[in-house]
Amino acid sequence: MSIEEQYRTRAKELLSGGAVKMVIGYGKGTTASRRRPLFISSPDDVERLVLDDACITNLSGYLVSEGLLSDEKRVAVFLRPEGIRAVNILAAESQLDAEQIVIFGFDVSGTEVRALKGIHVEEFSDVIGSIKEGAPEASEEELFEKIEKMSPQERFSFWQEEFAKCIKCYACRQACPMCYCRRCIVDSNQPQWVNTSSHSLGNFEWNIVRAFHLSGRCVECGNCDRACPVNIPLRLINHRMAEEVLGAFDHFAGMSKTQEPVLASFKKDDSETFIL
Amino acid sequence: MSEPFEPKIIAFVCTYCTYAGADLAGTSRLKYAPNVRIIRLPCTGRISPMFILKALQKGADGVLISGCHPGDCHFTHGNYHARRRWMVFRALLDFIGIPPERVKYSWISAAEGVKFAEFINTVTEDIRKLGPFEQYSQLIEQTQASASL
Ligand code: SF4
Ligand code: SF4
Repeated sequence: MSIEEQYRTRAKELLSGGAVKMVIGYGKGTTASRRRPLFISSPDDVERLVLDDACITNLSGYLVSEGLLSDEKRVAVFLRPEGIRAVNILAAESQLDAEQIVIFGFDVSGTEVRALKGIHVEEFSDVIGSIKEGAPEASEEELFEKIEKMSPQERFSFWQEEFAKCIKCYACRQACPMCYCRRCIVDSNQPQWVNTSSHSLGNFEWNIVRAFHLSGRCVECGNCDRACPVNIPLRLINHRMAEEVLGAFDHFAGMSKTQEPVLASFKKDDSETFIL
Repeated sequence: MSEPFEPKIIAFVCTYCTYAGADLAGTSRLKYAPNVRIIRLPCTGRISPMFILKALQKGADGVLISGCHPGDCHFTHGNYHARRRWMVFRALLDFIGIPPERVKYSWISAAEGVKFAEFINTVTEDIRKLGPFEQYSQLIEQTQASASL
């Protein structure tokens, strides 16, 4: 039996037995290669669930939709390892109770879809641990290294050109499971920290703030990057920050549901070389 | 002839250590560069990275941040939190292309009036050498361009 069918059967059982009130998975999209999020609460709908290598979106962000979990009922969700890490972070940041989340874990290599065993986040710690050990590389290693080798002026120009394209649609924020703030700092205007216009300065500030707020929290799922309508390589900035917290604090975001948020904790011997 | 470049520098300091250090520099009649505008905050933990961005947005050529030495924080560990934040923020600015030389960090205690004066002098000289932060002021100028319809 294919994983797709196994998971449909499992979804059916869970929904008809009342073990979960909803299954969040993937359904057919507008084109053959696209998938869209599917929210089903009736066992009769499980046939609409699709699971294949086109299922890339990290669905964990839907778990923090307002009111979804407040009745303390369980919700099942299809997640890749990044999604599972995201649930860990959301739990660690007290945004949800991990007990309420039933995981349909899967991973994709090439076109092959593999099931990940487990129901609750803590059962996936080996999977997550092995990703950390594998020291994930930037998705475009070449470009990433090129940027690192540039002089600050060149880097500035590179990003200036990229950010010039930004239209401040905030799709990157909307798509990110970690961007759950009810009121984002860019929406505050008393005081107004960030220029809201999408001119270069405002775009710079916005992208710096976005990246900073996600430092040590980003799981590199790529939702933001795929959502960006003008293809700004946000993944590169995310990756740089993930690399930084891993190197400096041995922090790999989303290891467990009790992991301390990296920027809300400290060690007395955190070592740096630049403070005079 | 254009006027020689005088760097505009903003310093964010905590009130218990570095600000007191600045005070000591003053009462000891130490001379230091007049290019720095000091903004006093309760603790380095209160110095949000947004302040740095705001300073740049308002045309600063350099930003200084300073507070109590590790272990000396009036609130016991505000500066430990700040240190982590700076480490990460500094890496981010660097990756975006804002030269690390433009944003400087230090620990200066209330007893270190001399260190304060020297720090200000060195940084002012360094930034004078770097020249105005032209790449950033370009961004600022663009925002002031009149709308074309
Ligand atoms: S910042 Fe982007 S890659 Fe990182 S968790 Fe958010 S959506 Fe995913
Ligand atoms: S999705 Fe892209 S264009 Fe939209 S705000 Fe984010 S970076 Fe800018």
